[in-house]
Amino acid sequence: METTISKTTAERPTLAWLRQNRGTLAVLVVLLLLPFIIAIIDGQSISSVLANESGNSKFFQGLLIEIFILGLFALSYDLLLGITGLLSLGHAMFFAVGGYLTGILIKSFGWGLVPTIAAVTVAAIVQALLFAVVLPRVKGLTFALVTLGFASVFHIVVQSREAAPFTGADVGLQGVVIPAFLDPVDQRLRVYFIALLITMVVYFLYQRFVDSPTGRVCIAIRENEDRALMLGYNTFQYKVIVLLISSLTAAFAGMLHTIHQPIVSPNIAGLGYMVIALLIILIGGVGTLSGALIGAAVFRLLDFFIDRWFGEAATFLLGVIYVLLVLFVPFGIVGTWRQHSSQFTHQIEAIIERLRPKKENPE
Amino acid sequence: MEWLLENRTRLLTLGILIVLFLLAISGMPAEEWVITALRGLALGALTFLVAAGLSIIFGLMDVLNLAHGELFMLGAYMGWTIYVRPDTVIDGATPFLLIASLLVLVPLLTRWVRSLTLPDLVDKIWPWVGLAAGIGLLVFALFQYPLSTWDLENYAQSPISNAIAFETGTFQSPPPAEFEASPVLVIGGVIVGSGLLALAAAGFSARQTTLRQPSPTQMRNIAIVSGGLFALAFVVLAINNPLTEFMLGLGSTPRFFIAMALASVTGALLGWTIEVTMIRPLYDRPIYQIMLTLGLGFIILELVRAVWGRPEFQMPRPAVFAGTGEGCPATSIGDLVQYQCATIEVLGGRVRMYNEVFIIIVGLLVLGAVALLLQRTRLGMIIRAGVQDSEMVEALGINVRQVFSQVFALGVGLAALGGVLAGPSLGLSNGMGARVLLLALIALAVGGLTSFSGAAAGAVLIGLLQQFIIKYGQIGINVPFMAEPFKPSPPLVPASSVLLMVVILLILPQGLFGRKE
Amino acid sequence: MLEVRDIHTYIGQFHVLEGVSLSVPKGSITALLGRNGAGKTTTLKTIMGITPPTQGEIVYDGQPIGGLPSFEIAQLGIGFVPEHRAIFRDLTVRENLRLAERNRGDFERKEDLIFNLFPDLKRLIRLRGTNLSGGQQQMLSVARALVPDNRLLLIDEPTEGLAPVIIEQLIEAIRQLSAETTVLLVEQNFLVAQTLAEYYVIVEEGQTVKHGMMADLAEDEETIHRYLGAA
Repeated sequence: METTISKTTAERPTLAWLRQNRGTLAVLVVLLLLPFIIAIIDGQSISSVLANESGNSKFFQGLLIEIFILGLFALSYDLLLGITGLLSLGHAMFFAVGGYLTGILIKSFGWGLVPTIAAVTVAAIVQALLFAVVLPRVKGLTFALVTLGFASVFHIVVQSREAAPFTGADVGLQGVVIPAFLDPVDQRLRVYFIALLITMVVYFLYQRFVDSPTGRVCIAIRENEDRALMLGYNTFQYKVIVLLISSLTAAFAGMLHTIHQPIVSPNIAGLGYMVIALLIILIGGVGTLSGALIGAAVFRLLDFFIDRWFGEAATFLLGVIYVLLVLFVPFGIVGTWRQHSSQFTHQIEAIIERLRPKKENPE
Repeated sequence: MEWLLENRTRLLTLGILIVLFLLAISGMPAEEWVITALRGLALGALTFLVAAGLSIIFGLMDVLNLAHGELFMLGAYMGWTIYVRPDTVIDGATPFLLIASLLVLVPLLTRWVRSLTLPDLVDKIWPWVGLAAGIGLLVFALFQYPLSTWDLENYAQSPISNAIAFETGTFQSPPPAEFEASPVLVIGGVIVGSGLLALAAAGFSARQTTLRQPSPTQMRNIAIVSGGLFALAFVVLAINNPLTEFMLGLGSTPRFFIAMALASVTGALLGWTIEVTMIRPLYDRPIYQIMLTLGLGFIILELVRAVWGRPEFQMPRPAVFAGTGEGCPATSIGDLVQYQCATIEVLGGRVRMYNEVFIIIVGLLVLGAVALLLQRTRLGMIIRAGVQDSEMVEALGINVRQVFSQVFALGVGLAALGGVLAGPSLGLSNGMGARVLLLALIALAVGGLTSFSGAAAGAVLIGLLQQFIIKYGQIGINVPFMAEPFKPSPPLVPASSVLLMVVILLILPQGLFGRKE
Repeated sequence: MLEVRDIHTYIGQFHVLEGVSLSVPKGSITALLGRNGAGKTTTLKTIMGITPPTQGEIVYDGQPIGGLPSFEIAQLGIGFVPEHRAIFRDLTVRENLRLAERNRGDFERKEDLIFNLFPDLKRLIRLRGTNLSGGQQQMLSVARALVPDNRLLLIDEPTEGLAPVIIEQLIEAIRQLSAETTVLLVEQNFLVAQTLAEYYVIVEEGQTVKHGMMADLAEDEETIHRYLGAA
């Protein structure tokens, strides 16, 4: 760790940042070019991609937008559970509030995009504060139960007959007219780039956050809250910050979901949707951030192909995969890879150490 | 006095609840509130059967089993199958017992595998090969195995039609399924397939460095159990047809009780298996246990959907609670016994014997039995001590892990019993598990997560609350400043209990009946 | 009787024991001394198998017990009296004692011995643990370790927070039972340790720093001052 810091301080900060994130940036470039690459492989012309004509490229753009949305959602959950160790079972509500609010405001109240964004921001802050109010009273599993309670109430209300004029009850919210310049079908390429950009920006911000002193305290809270308290940190304050960030991210992921999907199903408010977030961060690696994004991609593609190959049995198989992951690959893709790579580098270092000519008199 | 002061919040909350209850009662005529209260108690009893296991498991093992609701549901469907289609169960018993008899051998095989010395590469690869070959062979053989069952695709033979035909007494069991391929090959395939599977499992578990050797007595017991299961499989196979005829010839009442018993036992075995194979490896990673049970719940849900289908259907009531003819509704105990009435008259209202009396009785019996177990037996003593500090119990020389398995089995068994019991009154649906889990969690939270008596009280409270709100959904609640009475729709009802839980947890984080640590 | 060689233990990510070695001669009382957080309690828990060691050897009666599950270690005849009087509050005194039985009837056989040492308990037999005073809880905690035939007792801070009269009683009890049982005693109160123990072991920051005869330690003011604070 220290060697990299001393090496990079010599360079210009931007350059250092680029060097540190070269892997992620490479992925970003690939993703930016991907719609065109797919088109070329498919024999489709670039201009038809730019005109949003249907084809494999457009289809995969749709799939990738879903991955970005899931990735954002999982990222926000990873911050709560993986980084801070706060077990909330109400995370689906964070997402669904954004999704439903966007749909209802645009459809039933005819609001424009900018006021809707403002409203979603406010709603996200309010629900984070609602969870925060509970925090000092209840700890651990009781907190999980209370959050599950909040989310269940929201889920039940969304599905109820009374709310049907707004939410569409069981059927889901349909017929939300998205402003033309963000139309998920006609302007998919634009939506794709916007979603990609948001995801990447959020990811970098999250990384900055986790590396910041505040983020370090959050990790300390996860490791041992009593110790963090003893060291004089007001852990409550840090948890509120994390809740706010997480809620905002999830709510905006929900908003993207409403923009992208023709129907907002009440399922997104259910416990099942939160389990998807859990599954994603399990696949990717709990507490690794990048694992949330990689997990989202793996999950969505897995879901896509398993569904295509096994049809009805898909959810069952996903459940089995989930349980096997919990039991046998608890650190996920990124976590396991890091472990192995650190073992690997240790081995390399050991070999280099052995090969180094021995000096009789050091200095 | 000191006690009063210490518990003033708790007493105040209880007081408010009682006042609310009295208010609710005063709004309706006597026969209505009696029935509503009975329904509430019945729902409370079903919730209790789930909450009881949940609270003991959580108290002792710190595992919040979020699959408990789905296990309740699985119990209901298993009970339905034993009750309506015993022929299916008997057909399925043989391959099931064969697989179980071989999988039980895993600890013995592990010991044997460890004594082998294989080349490195072979050692790495063979369990995977065994796993793939075992699963392949098993799936292939099981598809060949003759099983007389329902057909989800064909409405006339779907579980719904089965249930309706059973209720109206027109159910004809399909002709017994016959082997199409050679029986020796099919059964041999099942045995070899599950044998390979067991061997593969042994190969994987032999890799663990911390593995402990089973003691000689344990090994002998394993061998005996395995042999017993193996023999039983063939006994069932040999008497398949007479056994099926006997079961189908039984009246619906004894069959229902058999279903209750068998489903509970199967549930308990399933619970034991889950604990040993999946929960036990995760005791040092608590959050992963919750994640695991969540995933397990989803697997069970999908399994139920695949086997029994998505549409709801009713479990027919046993004959002793279904009489409707002459002399019914019963007005005296004599009539009740004589005509086996479905309903009795109480205060001018009709009370359904099964839904509102039998369920409550079973709930009370279980409550008494579990309370006795906890208070009067050594196992109960270990559980009560373990709820406080299982580490110390173990340091006294007690094998707590073994008790964990027993408790998990007990809890799942009770949930399965609750499922069967709920079948004739709530019906069978894919959503019943999630609904009852929510109720049980609320009951638990209200009662104080780890307190058994608290779970019971919480369950009753939640049951009553739900039923009274449903009742008021029909009558309407006069809300101030609103012209018309507010009538919450039934789906909104659970929300009220959830709100009650949240409020109570915020006022009293340790629950209404829990103790502050 | 008990031989501990260079054990290392982690609690979570914290390396708590970094090489503790000690030996407890048969029939003796050995005091395990050190400052708060030096690793005394963890040493006992590690011997007991509650926090298993990652390294090192624990040999009891010629048999290695490191890595065995806690209940099997207990069944070999090691009794544990944890700090803070961890008796079971929901159980009555009788149930607390019954729970410690390793064979049916252990309690009846030891009843007289236990009530001779702690006459108070006889009177309280039906009371629940939560209703006992601190001293009574501590007596129950020690009594519990006497129910089965234990040959080694690990006692963690028995006198912590108790009134002098009760401490006297406990010292007397421990002295009496040490006639038949070997004792490894963790004690903050140096005077108590000095009265009871023949041997001592001092741990500091998870390592054994000194051991020997108690009689020698009493004269070694510098060591006492350095490792145990003012005594």
